Order: sequence, then structure tokens, then C-alpha cells
Amino acid sequence: MSDTAVAVQHDERHAHDDHHHGPQGILKYLWSTDHKVIAMQYLFTGMFMAVIGGFMAYVFRMQLAFPGISVPGFGQVSPGEYNALVTNHGTIMIFWVAMPVLIAAFGNYLIPLMIGADDMVFPKINRLSFQIFLLSALILLASLFVQGGGFGGAWTAYPPLSAVGEYNQTELGSSLWLIAVALEFVAFLLGGINFITTLMNARAPGMKAYDIPLVAWMIVIASILFMLSVGPLIAGAVMLLFDQTLGTGFYDPARGGDPILWQHLFWFFGHPEVYVVLLPAIGITIDIIATFSRKKVFGYKMMLYTAVATGVLSFFVWAHHQFVAGIDPRMANVFTVTTLLISVPIAELLFVIIATLYGGSIRLTTPMLWALAFMAEFLLGGVTGIFLGASGADIYFHDTYFVLAHFHYTFFPIAIIGSFAAFTYWFPKMFGKMMDERLGKIHFWGTVIPFNFIFIPLFVLGMGGQHRRIYNYQHFPELASAEMYNLREMATYALLVMLAFQLVFFFNCIKSWMNGKAAGRNPWQSNTLEWTTESPPPHGNWPVDEMPNVYRGPYEYAHPDREEDYWPQNEPS
Amino acid sequence: MSDENNRNDDGQHDDDHHVNYTKIYVTLLILFAISVMGPFIGEITGIALITLVTAFGIALVKANLVIQNFMHLRWEKKIMKWMLTSSLVVVALFVAGVAPDVYNHEGDNWENLAAKAAVERGIAGGEHDAEEDHAEEEPAVEVATAGFNAAGSYVMICAACHGAEGAGDGAAGALLDPSPANFTDPTFWSTRDDARIKTAIRDGGVSVGGSALMAPWGALYDDEQLDAMVEYVKSFNPTGE
Amino acid sequence: MKPIATTRSATGVPTGRLAVWWLLASEVVIFGGLLGSYLMMRLGHPEWADAAMHTNTWLGATNTFVLLTSSFTAVLAHQAAEKGDGKKAAGLLVLTIGGALTFLAIKSFEWYTEISHGYTITANNFWSFYYTAAGLHALHVIAGAIIMGFIAWDAFRGKELQRVELIGIYWHFVDVVWIFLFPLLYIAK
Repeated sequence: MSDTAVAVQHDERHAHDDHHHGPQGILKYLWSTDHKVIAMQYLFTGMFMAVIGGFMAYVFRMQLAFPGISVPGFGQVSPGEYNALVTNHGTIMIFWVAMPVLIAAFGNYLIPLMIGADDMVFPKINRLSFQIFLLSALILLASLFVQGGGFGGAWTAYPPLSAVGEYNQTELGSSLWLIAVALEFVAFLLGGINFITTLMNARAPGMKAYDIPLVAWMIVIASILFMLSVGPLIAGAVMLLFDQTLGTGFYDPARGGDPILWQHLFWFFGHPEVYVVLLPAIGITIDIIATFSRKKVFGYKMMLYTAVATGVLSFFVWAHHQFVAGIDPRMANVFTVTTLLISVPIAELLFVIIATLYGGSIRLTTPMLWALAFMAEFLLGGVTGIFLGASGADIYFHDTYFVLAHFHYTFFPIAIIGSFAAFTYWFPKMFGKMMDERLGKIHFWGTVIPFNFIFIPLFVLGMGGQHRRIYNYQHFPELASAEMYNLREMATYALLVMLAFQLVFFFNCIKSWMNGKAAGRNPWQSNTLEWTTESPPPHGNWPVDEMPNVYRGPYEYAHPDREEDYWPQNEPS
Repeated sequence: MSDENNRNDDGQHDDDHHVNYTKIYVTLLILFAISVMGPFIGEITGIALITLVTAFGIALVKANLVIQNFMHLRWEKKIMKWMLTSSLVVVALFVAGVAPDVYNHEGDNWENLAAKAAVERGIAGGEHDAEEDHAEEEPAVEVATAGFNAAGSYVMICAACHGAEGAGDGAAGALLDPSPANFTDPTFWSTRDDARIKTAIRDGGVSVGGSALMAPWGALYDDEQLDAMVEYVKSFNPTGE
Repeated sequence: MKPIATTRSATGVPTGRLAVWWLLASEVVIFGGLLGSYLMMRLGHPEWADAAMHTNTWLGATNTFVLLTSSFTAVLAHQAAEKGDGKKAAGLLVLTIGGALTFLAIKSFEWYTEISHGYTITANNFWSFYYTAAGLHALHVIAGAIIMGFIAWDAFRGKELQRVELIGIYWHFVDVVWIFLFPLLYIAK
């Protein structure tokens, strides 16, 4: 792969430059195949959908704390609207915020840069993936405004409620919701192929498998997990769509169908899905922590193999979502054991992160704060999962707010904290400016502290027996006590505070983008390849004859032979 | 462009794999012919295993031939074989984990009444064919009412609120307001007739001026089945009519 | 016009081929989920045998023959492309597309007959699975044929010959799915 190869590439690239700088003008932002532009498209779409999902949370939390209130900015919340709000909040946050931001946006942006490539291997398919994704988002939003309103059968869409229009009262909305989700799957299947093949094949000369930064690995492993697990659900979604629109009886017990089949099809994907979003968040965290501890990752191979083991194990735990659904109790035994087992590799990942911090020269920048908060909050979420994984305890906890608080203590760190960590860390590279550190820290504390005040009350409420998916607890005397309402109000006020602090973030973004200090190439003094090019990188990432070669791993910090405490991967020696 | 193949490849691609595609094709056709003949032989000899082996066993062999030779998996790098194997393992895992609930209709302390009823209906209905009046029939159900189990339906759908003995004391109904009807209460029956019960079941509580909490079930049952259910509900009446 | 990234191959496998195999890996799970569900339900509902009696084994068998033959022409196209003979490859791909069209025509006739006898997708769950599984497969046949058309057009002009192999691999997969659908839907009576 030497001079002749480079010469060939050089020639090809000349042709590339001569008549293909990429589209110009407004088309540059809409029709480009450049992975960085597509990444931005995913990022902004994801952020927009996060605002919508957050607004939904605001509305239904107001209703829960102050039943019957006319919510400012929305009006009174009917039961049907409440169901649609909680359903779409969940669906949007997982499929149109967590996945596009963590995987599609940062995967697209970082992978080619981190492996020293000039783009993804299939740029046009990359563009197509985003277009399908955008279409899916538009269809989902449309579903909220059609006659009958948005689908309200929970993000898990169990039939017969989801299958029979007479039951869910949102016939059109239900089908649009399902089509939107299916299209999103297709977009991510296509995108996943791009990420995996790019990482496998398009690496810079000299970059061996163990020289790839962990975040890139994690995103690719997550893509593989996604691709292997989503199949049965796509089949199941087609079947559900036919039940909804054609009147088939796949899930109709009276016609020989089986609603439990849907549950299995859904959760067989649904469980690996949470690891699909967890692994990238962990990758982001470890990369940031290595940079700001000025230390090598404690166990690179251990993290890699443990992540793979987690992925494999994640296929064996799905029915813990169905312990009380009427599955065979003997299967429940099996799934309890596997569910408890999976906490081991995940704990190991956290231990490696802690070991990396230990003895490091810590720089408490904003991204570092987010990374540390991810660990702390995710840890709390993870341990509460143990209670739920034990089928005996789950008989009580299932469908209570304990479950809800557990998965918010895991999802929020993944989707929100992880996204802010990545965003604040790579903002200088993406926009060429530094973010304001003080505003960043205010935003950080104003998000993380209120977050705990939202969900700890919900744990308590869950232990007190509060069921999920009820729009007005006044209908349930034992759940309508003053103490319980105090907790609901606390959670809602905390949410309002947290939402208010997000304005600081938006202000910081705009201010930094317009007026921020110039970032230079490598403001954080990190080793990985994306920091060796300009900020922001040009089309093609590096000049054609300066494509990097790689000489070492990504985390060579504080190496004894060096004067500086970092050693970029592309420096010869 | 074929340069690319050479340069990027492990070299074997061009040299080694000139298997005779025609031979493979002919083999496939022969296997195919056997698999079509199989069921006939199986029927004549009465050995169902023959059909199974010829149909599915041969399918596996044919698929293997296509995958190894036409898709060149034989000469591919190991990673492809790992990928394919992983996919198949995932599918097998899915079936293994789901079969106890979906394939089985009973297990440790549980019974899938709806599925068992469906099987019985189908067997009792026998040659009830689709040819006749399917176009007309409601999308809901194609059943032989001879096999309809009103008591089973009650257990499945009504008992949760109305109670196993019809006393309006089902667990799910405990906190509802108004509470579910108590069929063992004579005063209930003094103001109800068959038609009203049937309407309530079919179109929901609101249709008879009652609570919206009683859902409409008409989508699941045809006319005769609704009558059967009304009769069953009436059986809870302590005064006997 | 292609990025440098597309020309690299750290694993030694051309990226296009790697991508098609990943695509197939996910397709295996999609069809596997659908067919696995069908299998479990079919085994648990012996009364479906009544409905299954009415699938047309001869038409199904003919279609199996058509697809097997089209796989043969597809791999011959690959052989021609390897030798650099774009025109021959294109011709063989066109034959393969012909096979696809024949398959679809026979299937359309088959479904028309079945539907007019009242065996619609809502007739009972066996038929629901039958149309869904065969329909999903047919969608893949259509998509494959369309893409094959574009590749044949390029190949005829001597361009992108490596893609002949790639669409061939996809096509063989479509054939393999049918190899399993045939006994599941037609022979198992």
C-alpha cells in the first residue's frame, strides 16, 4: 500500500477536486455526501426532536402533578392526549434523539476522521440514510396531527390495543407511527453497513485494529448489535401493520394469533437496543476521560472484549420485560439468571473507566464533568436494574414508576449526558471555536442536579405502588395521598428548572459559534487523528497528499520517552 | 476496475474457485425434483418422515450448495462465515426463547385457552372451507360456532372485572367507578333483558347508557357467539332466569 | 469521484462485497424472524393444514425452478464479468432479470387464482403468513431486479464490473430464501 497506491489515489483525487468540490450554496447543506455535513444534519434533527420530546415531558408532568390543569403552552390534557404524549415522548427520545445523535451524528462525524479516511466508503448511501431518516421523523410528527391524534398505546405498542382501531381510537396515527419507526430502522440498517465497512476497510495505513479509538469501535459494535437484533421486529412490525390496516389476525387470540408473539418480537430487539445506545455513550465517556486524565485507558482490550461480551449477552435477557405477561414461568427462571449476569460485564466497563481515572492528571473541563456524571448516574440506574431483573421482585415492581425511574437513570445519562459530553468535547473540532467554559459548567450543574430531583421521587413513588401510564392518580385513592402528590410536584418543579437551564446551553452554542475563541487544531491536546486536521476539517478531511499514517495506539498519554504528555497517532516518532 | 479485485483480494479469487457452475446447477435441479416427488412417495408409503427429509433436508442441502458455490462462501475469508453463523444463531435463539410461549399452549401452571380453542374449532370445523362466503364474512372471525366456548371467552375477557363467579368482584374491577355489574344480584336482572346484555357486550357500556369503562367486544364475536355469551352470563343469575 | 476511503481494504475483502454480506446478515434475521414465527405458529396450530392444502404446489415448484435457473445465469454473469466481458455479463444479467419477471408473473397469476377463491390475506392466519412471507420475498425480488438492471446497463458499457458479483450474491440470497419458503408454504401440507 505504498507509493504507487498513493499515486493512484492522488490521481483519482485530482479528478475528484476538479469537478467535484461538493455541492455549492444552499445545496451544500441539503444534498452533500460529505460525512461531516450529514452528521450535522442528524445532529440538528436529533436536537430538534429532543426539544419536542422534552416539551411532551413538560406537558404530561404538569398534568401528573396538577391534574386537570390547563398546561401553559398546551391546554388541558385529555386522557387520550396524555397517552399520546407519553407514547411519543418515549418513542422520540429513543429513536429520534438517542440513536441519531449518539450513533448517526457522532458516528458519521468521527469515524472517518478517527481512522484517517476522507469520507465514509459509501457517501451516497450515507446521504440516502439521512433522507430516509428525515422522512421517518416527518411521518412521526405528522402522526401527531392527523385525525384521532397520535398513537397512544405506549412505545411498546402491545396488541390488541395497538392493532385494533376501535380500542386505541387513533387508527391513522397508529399506522403512521408504525411506518415511521419501520423507516427509521431501515435508515439505521443502511447507516450501520456504512459504519461497519468503513471501520473495517478504510483505515489509514498502519492503523491496526487495536489502534482504533474506543468510541469508533463502540459505535460499530452497536451497529452490529442493531443489525442482528432488529430483524424479528421488522417482521413483527409488518405483521402489526397488516393487523391494523388489512384486518389480519396475527396477534388476535380469537383467530389463532398470539399477542405474546408481538411482545417477544418487540423485546428481542428492545433489549439489545438499550445496549445499542449504551455502548456509544460509554465509548464517548472513555475517550473523554482518557484525554482529561492524561492517561492510557486502563484496559483497552478488556473494554473491547467486554463490550462485545455485553452485546452477545444482551441477546439472552429480553424476556425480563415480560416476567408478568404470561410467559412460561420456567423461562422466567432462565431470564432472571441471564439478566443478573449481564450486570457483570457492564460493571467491568465502569471499573476500567475508574481505573483509568486513578492516578491521572485530571482536567475538570466541561466535557470531563459530563463524562464523570455519566458514570455516576448510570451506576445508580444500573444497580436499580438488579431489583427488576429478579423476577420475584419484578412481580411487584413491574409497571410501576420504579421501572420508569430505573430506565431514566440509565437512558438519561446515555442520551442526554452522553450527548452533551460528546457535543462539548467535539464542538471545537466541528465549529472551530471553543465553547464558553463558565456557561458550560452552569448548564452542567443546572442539568444534572435537577435530574436527580426528578427521578428519585419517582423511585419512591414506584415503591409506593404507583402504576405507570395513568393520566390522573386522583382516581386511585391509595395513590392520591398528599405525600405522593408532594413527590409528584417536586419531580415536576425539578423538570421545569432543568428545562430552564437548557436555555443556557443554547445561548452558549450561539455565543460560542459567533464569538468563541479560535480552537486551533488540537485544543484538548488529544492523540486521536481527528485532532490533527483543521477545525473544522475541510472537504476531504486532509489535503490529498497529507492523509495520515498511523504509528501507535490512540491513548499514548504520559509516555516516559516523551517530553509532552501526549503523542498523536500520526507522528512518526 | 477489475484491478481492484486483484489488489484488494487474497489472490485466490481469480485462480482457485473455478468450480463447474453447470454441474452445481444440475445437482440443484436433481435435488429439486426429488423434493417435489418426496411428498408423493411419503403419501404412498405412509411414512411422513420421508416428506420431512426430502422437503426440508433437501432445502438445507440446496441452500448450502448455493451459498458455498454460487455465493463463494467456500473461498471467502472467515469473517463472512462468522457473520452468517451469527445471524443464524440469533434466529435460532429467537425461536428457542419464544417457542415455549407461542408454540406450546400450556406449561407450568398456565394454559393458552384462546389457542386451544382455536385448534379445537379448526379441527371440529373440519373441512370448513374458505371457498364459500369469505368475501362476505366480517374480517373478525372465521369459525365453526359448534366449537365456540362461551365459558372460556368469559374467563378470558370478562372475569377480570366481573369476577370468576360473575359477582362483579374481579381484581381489575375493584377500583372502577361505577363498579362492574354483579350478575349474581337479582336486582341487576330486574332491569335487564337479553337484548340489552348483548348490546352491552357488542358495543360497550356507553351504548346502553352505562360506563365507558366497559369496552365494546363486538369485533371479536359474531352474532351467534354473542348469543352464546349472553346465555352464559345469564347462568350467573341466582333466580335462575 | 470516489473518496480514497472507498479504495482502501484493510481486511483484504473489497468493501462492496463486505457491505453486501453485512446486508445479507441483517436480512437473514428479518426473514428468520418472520419464518421462525410462522413455523412456531404453524406447528402449534395443526388446524392450519386445511388451509395449507390449497396452495398450488405445481406453481410453487415452477417458481423454484425459475429462481434456481436465474441463480445459475447470475453466477455465469459473474464469471463473464471476472473475465472482463461486460457485454456477456450484461446479457446474462438480463436473463436473470427475465427470470425475476417470470417468477413475479407466475406469482401474480397464482395469487389472483387464490384470491378469487376466497383465500385472501385475512382468510385465516395461515394465509396471512403466506402472503406476508411470500410478499416480503417478492419485494426483495423486485428491488433486486431493479438494481440488477442498473448494474447490467453499466456492465454493458464495461463499467463497474465488480458490481456484477455483488448483485449476484444478493440474488442468490433471494433464491435461498425461496428454497426455504417453498417447502414451508407448499410442501408441508
